[in-house]
Amino acid sequence: MAEDLLEAENVCVGYGRGDIVHGVDVSVSAGRIATIIGPNGAGKSTMIKTIAGVLTRREGSIRIDGREIGGKPASEIARCGVAYVPQEANVFRQLTVTENLQMGSWIEPKEFDDRYEKVCALFPILKERAKVRAGNLSGGQRQMVAFGMALMVEPKVLLLDEPSAGLSPAMVEQMFDIIKQVNKTGIAVLMVEQNAMQALKISDHGYVMAAGQVAMSAPASELLDSSEVSELYLGTRQ
Amino acid sequence: MSGQLIINGIVNASLIAPPAIAFSLLFGILRFPNFAIGAYVTVGAFIAYALNVGAGMPMWVAGLGAMAGTAVVVWLSDVLVFKPMRGHTPVTLLVVSIALALIIEHVIRLFYGADVRGFDLPLERPIKFAGLRITGEQIDIIVMTIVIGIAIHLLLQYTRIGKAMRATADNETLAEVRGINTSYVIAFTWFICGALFGLTGVFAGLDLVIEPLVGWYLTIPIFAAAILGGIGSPYGAMLGALLVGLAEELTVLVLPSSYKIGVGFVIIAVLLLIRPHGLLGQPEIKK
Repeated sequence: MAEDLLEAENVCVGYGRGDIVHGVDVSVSAGRIATIIGPNGAGKSTMIKTIAGVLTRREGSIRIDGREIGGKPASEIARCGVAYVPQEANVFRQLTVTENLQMGSWIEPKEFDDRYEKVCALFPILKERAKVRAGNLSGGQRQMVAFGMALMVEPKVLLLDEPSAGLSPAMVEQMFDIIKQVNKTGIAVLMVEQNAMQALKISDHGYVMAAGQVAMSAPASELLDSSEVSELYLGTRQ
Repeated sequence: MSGQLIINGIVNASLIAPPAIAFSLLFGILRFPNFAIGAYVTVGAFIAYALNVGAGMPMWVAGLGAMAGTAVVVWLSDVLVFKPMRGHTPVTLLVVSIALALIIEHVIRLFYGADVRGFDLPLERPIKFAGLRITGEQIDIIVMTIVIGIAIHLLLQYTRIGKAMRATADNETLAEVRGINTSYVIAFTWFICGALFGLTGVFAGLDLVIEPLVGWYLTIPIFAAAILGGIGSPYGAMLGALLVGLAEELTVLVLPSSYKIGVGFVIIAVLLLIRPHGLLGQPEIKK
């Protein structure tokens, strides 16, 4: 098996005193999708923010392509090929859609024209609403801006925090389709999802987090079949 | 009579507009009202004075020197004072900025005393037409403010760093996540704003007088302009400056001129009651 593109080992992180995430291992290899599911407050988003560099890990190691990124500022981690889409406040509200996408290609400005066409092919609405301020878009359209912005670089690793949050059921499906499509180009995807069933269906691997630790780590299909998981996390959510 | 007041108002507005833009830009990124802006303006006036009168340089060289020198002082005020305090509440930072203003003012007093000074400029007759008077310096101030306004617009709208400034003001975490080195962007913003405060010091020295409180007198109109336009919105600040500048002068028609200084307060009070996000500002959305 190929070396994992993203490897996080024994990551501990928290706000202020006390850790929220206690010694978590997560890894994704190129062209794969891994999903973290689990109850609220399990530390899923905290974990993904830590990989992105928005929070700084207290302990542990985070590597991209074998290169340590733990402890680096978010702007440097972005330059290592990590694109992170936060769940909230994930667009520049005062900037137009096109300006948002320009910020997306901040680290590779020369690629803008090329990537812009590619992203707009995925989300045609972004071209139609090019000059609208992102703050004036609907929630679903904002989510597309946020996702499109992350794809303005060709990341090695895509980190998605609740990509389906606030979307209509039809759009959730569309979003997951696009994630799959993007993933096929060889990008490693790590996402956190409340919509556990649908997310696991497109994933290769699944992690169940509870109380800041990985409670289960198994191929996604196994988690979908596991009666324990479906009772605890899948059945009740739908 | 009122034609002259409008001219005075426009000059006044031109004096207020650059620092109001700068105040707005700083607020957008740092989210606290920096009361030291008046002191920054005073620093600009005294650097220009030192270069012009002390070192005998021509006025335009002294002006550029004041912009550069003030930019450095203002940037240092971030490095030494505000940066170590990041993350504190806006009220704490506001109090810190008042303390900083007092310190700067008194350091200036230490060297220059409280005397009222002026630049070393040849006396010129004001230009007169149709019974209205305007000095050459006032025309310079108006023209330069218009140029500054356009330059700031072009900077924010079309340059890479300008867009990064807007993005950082909008959502600093996201800017950082997209690879923007926000501490560099913030330092750049302090520099630009410092240059604008320095220029205002030069304008104040040309149109008013140079003394340790010159910037302090401008603080309230600057705040009023920025709040009127919508705090954090540089275009709002330009519009706000024009309205406050005119309002201050035109009150002379109905009230004794000693009440002029209160106009800014009234504008702030009324605005906070009826439209707290200002004319061009975006209301803050709270979840």
